[in-house]
Amino acid sequence: MAEETVLSDEFVRQLMNVGEVDLIVAVPTANDAKTIGGVVRAVRLGLLKCFPRERAVLVNADCGSRDGSAELARQASIALPADAVAQALRTFHTVTASCVNGAGTKSPVRLLLATADLLRAKACAVVSPSEDVTPSRVERLLAPIYRQDFDLVAPLYKPHKFDGLLVRLLLYPLFRATFGRRIREPYGREFGFSGRLGAELFAREDIWQAEVVEVAETLRLTMSAVQFGYRVCEVFLGPRGYVEKPTELVSAMRQTVGTMFHFLDADPAQWQAIQGSEPIPREGPEPEVGDEPLRMNPHRIHGMFHSGVSDLQPVLASILTPETAAQLSACAALPRNLFRFPDALWVRTVYEFAAAYHRSVISRDHIIQALVPIYRGKLYEFLILNRQANAGEVVARNEALCLEFERHKPYLLQIWENRGGAP
Amino acid sequence: MATGPERLWYKHAIIYQVHVRTFYDSNGDGIGDFAGLAAKLDYLQHLGINAIWLMPFFPSPLRDDGYDIADYYSVHQSYGSLDDFKLFLNAAHDRGIRVIIEMVLNHTSDQHPWFKESRSSREHPRRDWYVWSETDTPYRSTRIIFVDTEMSNWAWDPVSKAYYWHRFFSHQPDLNYDNPAVREEIWRVMKFWLDIGVDGFRLDAVPYLVEREGTSCENLPETHVVLKELRARLDAEYPGRMLLAEANQWPADLRPYFGDEDEFHMAFHFPLMPRMFMGLKLEDRKPIVEILQQTPEIPSSCQWCLFLRNHDELTLEMVTDVERDYMYDAYAHDKTMRLNVGIRRRLAPLLDDDRKRIELMNGMLMSMPGTPIVYYGDEIGMGDNVFLGDRNGVRTPMQWSGGWNGGFSTADPESLYSPLILNPVYGYQAINVQSQQRSDHSLLSWMRHLIAVRKSTRVFGWGSIEFLQPANHRVLAYLRQLENEKILVVNNLSNAAQAVELDLRAYKGHLLIEMFGRNIFPRIGELPYLLTMGPHQFYWFRLRKL
Repeated sequence: MAEETVLSDEFVRQLMNVGEVDLIVAVPTANDAKTIGGVVRAVRLGLLKCFPRERAVLVNADCGSRDGSAELARQASIALPADAVAQALRTFHTVTASCVNGAGTKSPVRLLLATADLLRAKACAVVSPSEDVTPSRVERLLAPIYRQDFDLVAPLYKPHKFDGLLVRLLLYPLFRATFGRRIREPYGREFGFSGRLGAELFAREDIWQAEVVEVAETLRLTMSAVQFGYRVCEVFLGPRGYVEKPTELVSAMRQTVGTMFHFLDADPAQWQAIQGSEPIPREGPEPEVGDEPLRMNPHRIHGMFHSGVSDLQPVLASILTPETAAQLSACAALPRNLFRFPDALWVRTVYEFAAAYHRSVISRDHIIQALVPIYRGKLYEFLILNRQANAGEVVARNEALCLEFERHKPYLLQIWENRGGAP
Repeated sequence: MATGPERLWYKHAIIYQVHVRTFYDSNGDGIGDFAGLAAKLDYLQHLGINAIWLMPFFPSPLRDDGYDIADYYSVHQSYGSLDDFKLFLNAAHDRGIRVIIEMVLNHTSDQHPWFKESRSSREHPRRDWYVWSETDTPYRSTRIIFVDTEMSNWAWDPVSKAYYWHRFFSHQPDLNYDNPAVREEIWRVMKFWLDIGVDGFRLDAVPYLVEREGTSCENLPETHVVLKELRARLDAEYPGRMLLAEANQWPADLRPYFGDEDEFHMAFHFPLMPRMFMGLKLEDRKPIVEILQQTPEIPSSCQWCLFLRNHDELTLEMVTDVERDYMYDAYAHDKTMRLNVGIRRRLAPLLDDDRKRIELMNGMLMSMPGTPIVYYGDEIGMGDNVFLGDRNGVRTPMQWSGGWNGGFSTADPESLYSPLILNPVYGYQAINVQSQQRSDHSLLSWMRHLIAVRKSTRVFGWGSIEFLQPANHRVLAYLRQLENEKILVVNNLSNAAQAVELDLRAYKGHLLIEMFGRNIFPRIGELPYLLTMGPHQFYWFRLRKL
């Protein structure tokens, strides 16, 4: 049976007309008809203003839109202001491709890597199809790569206290402690990467044949960049332009934490020897934490934690050490007004889940699912602790949690091969 | 007297631009002359050109290479006599080669007797032949053209204690075209040369003839009145003679110079030339297509004059700031190559002596709508010398052979009007007519073939142009058509091989006959016509329904 190709014949035909480029800007869409036009115009103007001489192409990687997003992207490219087009030195191409492969898997990043490899692009950026995308965002994502020789640009957004908590409470601290790099948005939907990084990652079949699901491609890219020693930086992009579409926490956990666990399992040599963590260069100002009001119902979250710990006792017993399981149960039994979920307990819990995933003590998917209610407990604590906190306090608590993850890393190494403590 | 279609000879001409001083020295004084030029007419005839445009050869202090005329009725003594010119002219005509001479209308040299008389006294009858002012404040909104050398368009004359107006160098005072006596005298000058037999004039710097307060002093209606008056007299007394406008302007501003077939017959298309170089460097047809699409229709008897290089810098006045910066970086990274608002380099050095690119650019020149001009020496790929100052680096002696002085002159090398190009790449021992005549594959032989193919059809000079829009932006394709004759031109602007699909369904059933080798390509069908092209390759196809 013939091996499935990443790029369709029709897309390759479009790329033949584009030819070699310096820059690629990709806009993944999934029913984004309302915003795609504005995004294409912003990208175009950003390229015109900041990269007037470079050969560039906009790639619309469409993940099965049924609202005509792809066609609207093409039209928006044509319908640019005449004066803007007149200023342009070069022809500007907008190409569209479906990033849903024959097996139904959505793989925009892999499509983009293949495109960048084929067109020999020097720098690539992915921007979200959000109405807040501005021309300057294109420059911020591309310039560090194109002009400063970085290989990966991770985004930084202006956060508010209760935004992106799965990343801040779990993903970032775990990533930082294991891989030793302080990339605060390792799972950003907007990022930039160099042609050489893209080419290496695309060529590594082992990365793309992983069992993790498609949406974690960006996390995979970030981890691979760090693993392979590429130069990484962060850029401040302003307000987070996109609104996460409603996604179940279980699904999000699979895509992010599942991917992290998979990578930890796949190549322990890449992270086990790393101690502590290092900041990475940052372009632009340090973002300040915003102070928007809480929009979640903490009591409901607490209830889900409480019932989850209770209902999953048999599963947790197979994953966690008895001490950790007991402490979690005790924690869940606390009345809401006295509730605390100590950082050390949270870190040990996460590490024991990672080790259990590594050893496949039960179905790996069940392991990930079982982490969800426990995460809600930590989430609840964060919400009630920080409801009145100012930005500085929130940042300090996050940093303390990260340090706790780093401090306990020897524990992860200890339990990784079941060298004591773990069931 | 030319009648009928022959009156429109310029529509299908191929013009060779040359300065008599640079071409061939017949008397061994180190300076080219008319007898020398006449001696080389066989070469030009063999090349295939059918018109010569001569740069100024009038008596002059030569502070601007002859564009500072001191006597309109004679020949500079270095180039021979008026009789020598007449002999040359007749010899050219005998070979079917027409002669266009330069006519600098806008200004004279400050050594011209007219100016000397004008400045001599405020009461002198010729005082008003030039533009004088008590102050340097009038016409403030007028730009300065030679920004590298001039601070103002006014210069103080210590003799008459007043300012005089000059759009170019300060030693080139502008004539006052509001004065009927000036207009009459200029017509007398033109009549003088027309009576001798010249076939046309290249009128220099025509947008600047008249000044009006509060304007840019360019392209004014009053200027067009002056020009129409000259054209009317020309048509009445010398039908078949031609006026060519030098007006470095945007296409829309140039259109009025054609009038209703009552002003100029031809005008240079200045904005196209830098965009051809830009398109080549960018490997993108966008700049070329855009400027040609912005180019207005002109009356059927009129014609654009197209060129790649000439005696001046590669002018970048008619490009945007972004484009100008790009062109400087792309073609004149070394700042010594820049002059005024342009680049003082010849064709071959601009294109890194890349034969494929030289061929492609000449192919485009010869296939676009207009009459092409070949600058002397570019047909053999001559180089330049940016260290000679001003634009002299592109005005070095023609390289005829690898022998003494490149075959240009028998004089001592030190006495030549200009040093020859000597470097190992472009020097006369490497690049010369004699050696290229011995090879069927030399650039000279190729240019001869190109010109012959161009002359094999009237489509290029007379036909319409329709751009194709293949998705591959590195390919510039257009269809030239005149009545039932159709020619498809496809240019690969890229340094790499390209595949391109052309939508030729409108010509379904036609065969493509490649015009250089006369080979047959597959018949056009319903599907997009796929061509693969080598780096910088171009095709001219005749479409034939057989």
